[in-house]
Amino acid sequence: MESIENRLGLVSFTVDSESHIKPKEEKCDNCRLRVCLYVCPAKLYRLEEGKIYFNHEGCLECGTCRVACPEELEWEYPRGGFGVHYQFG
Amino acid sequence: MDRFDAVVVGGGAAGLGAAYRMAENGLNVLLIERGENIGEKSVYGGRIYSWVFEEYVKGFRDAPIERWVRKERMTLLDEKESVSIEYSSDESCSFVANLTKFNRWLAERAEDAGALVISGIKVEDVKLNPAKIVADGDEIECDAVVIAEGVNPMLAMRLGLREDWKPEEVAVGVKEVFKLSEDEINSRFDVESDEGVANLFVGYPIFTHGGGFIYTNKDTVSAGVVVRVDSAMNNMIEVYDVVEKFRTHRDVAAFLKGGSMIEYSAHLVPEAGIKGIPNTLHKGNVMIAGDTAGFVLNRGFTIRGVDFAFYSGILAADSIKEAMDKGDVSSAGQIYEDKVRKSLILRELERFRKALDVLENTRFFDEYTRMMVGIMNGIFDVRKESNRLYDVVMDKTKGRKLRMVLDLLSAFRGL
Ligand SMILES: Cc1cc2nc3c(=O)[nH]c(=O)nc-3n(C[C@H](O)[C@H](O)[C@H](O)COP(=O)(O)OP(=O)(O)OC[C@H]3O[C@@H](n4cnc5c(N)ncnc54)[C@H](O)[C@@H]3O)c2cc1C
Ligand code: SF4
Ligand code: SF4
Repeated sequence: MESIENRLGLVSFTVDSESHIKPKEEKCDNCRLRVCLYVCPAKLYRLEEGKIYFNHEGCLECGTCRVACPEELEWEYPRGGFGVHYQFG
Repeated sequence: MDRFDAVVVGGGAAGLGAAYRMAENGLNVLLIERGENIGEKSVYGGRIYSWVFEEYVKGFRDAPIERWVRKERMTLLDEKESVSIEYSSDESCSFVANLTKFNRWLAERAEDAGALVISGIKVEDVKLNPAKIVADGDEIECDAVVIAEGVNPMLAMRLGLREDWKPEEVAVGVKEVFKLSEDEINSRFDVESDEGVANLFVGYPIFTHGGGFIYTNKDTVSAGVVVRVDSAMNNMIEVYDVVEKFRTHRDVAAFLKGGSMIEYSAHLVPEAGIKGIPNTLHKGNVMIAGDTAGFVLNRGFTIRGVDFAFYSGILAADSIKEAMDKGDVSSAGQIYEDKVRKSLILRELERFRKALDVLENTRFFDEYTRMMVGIMNGIFDVRKESNRLYDVVMDKTKGRKLRMVLDLLSAFRGL
């Protein structure tokens, strides 16, 4: 078994201080599907005490959460030079 | 500052095809890539069809090719068993490569040809009439812009060139790379050092739209899964978990044993074929190419994206050149539109329109996969009394023969 944290640890990131993805609290509070919790391959969305929390560190920049989210999720690529650096692709 | 004939957004196969070809044709071209280094944002499964590079790229034989694919394996998986068929040939039309390295090599070729390639800068916006891009607080005006930003069409959407993908139109692919020695790979996969294997899987652990893959690089192996986003949503598939289930299946683990994981990556891939192509591929002199335009063909057992991406870049470059030669550069967008609609890319996507319906049918991923594995089990599971093939097949297909025959016919026609 390889935990997702270990797997993300294999990848190098330049993390920006500000997140390039911004779920809206009021939308997430009222969201029934909450698909972001399982479609994100990096498992960056978490549910704690009924609330959705998102951490952009470790984002693989795939775009799956944007496509899956039933609301309009504010989603951009990180600024130039930031984000994930794949070596094999 | 120099005035550029054209600016290309994105340094994947599509953008690099455009920049390389324009530079070869003597145009003054600038390519801007948001990644700190070219290639570090591209992710794919593993194999590239070589025709377009053989035809268009000088010195292609020096490209960072890992292995030429000599064996194609298709595996049906259930929880504990598997059935594989293998096709092997001493000729090859495709090679396994690391896309990061391959794109980097292409960028060097484009630079050698005279293109200016800048990385680490994100294009914020593209504007029309006159065509220009906005990046780093500056505007750069030019005669034409090629948007090759990949599958997430953020700039193309803002320009109204295409809508965002719906969950049923894209799949999320997750890939893991394992380090193994070259000799170990050769013996495990029964190949020589320059020979590679492409192995696709259907069934476990997804049992719906998508599947698994393994590709042999020189001294690494790529393995992973692809799941259509709507199926992941509807079946509550935990994507980070499903790739682990795949990796730890006995018949997958056997290939990876002892290898250490060295990379984890994820990327979307267009799955809508011809239906995912927008009505128009240009606005004024701004054109879209590669994944942004949806140029990917998935037939279930083969997937083509990199060769189409590069080729669409070539077509964009040739359109711009043609328009300039005519002395009417403003016609480049329309020329591109016409060229693509008549090209191999659209012909291929059109030819496999019916494949979309076949691949929509979840029975292939679940019921029929289990059935085939069950039939094999019936034949080979000998405990004192053996089963006759006829009885096994009759038993496993009970009550669903007609539907199955019709489904198989549709598969023969469509794929
Ligand atoms: C899991 C998976 C398996 C696949 N397997 C195969 C396979 O085996 N064979 C095959 O042929 N195809 C395969 N494909 C498809 C193939 O990967 C793509 O079709 C192809 O790589 C697309 O190339 P592209 O140039 O259009 O996009 P990309 O390679 O994604 O390039 C887009 C580039 O644009 C840059 N960019 C984006 N926005 C900006 C901006 N605003 N400013 C500057 N730069 C920007 C990105 O950083 C990126 O470098 C697979 C895809 C996936 C996801
Ligand atoms: S799916 Fe979208 S709206 Fe719903 S919880 Fe997740 S981010 Fe929020
Ligand atoms: S872009 Fe991909 S990796 Fe990043 S948060 Fe969304 S789903 Fe997760």
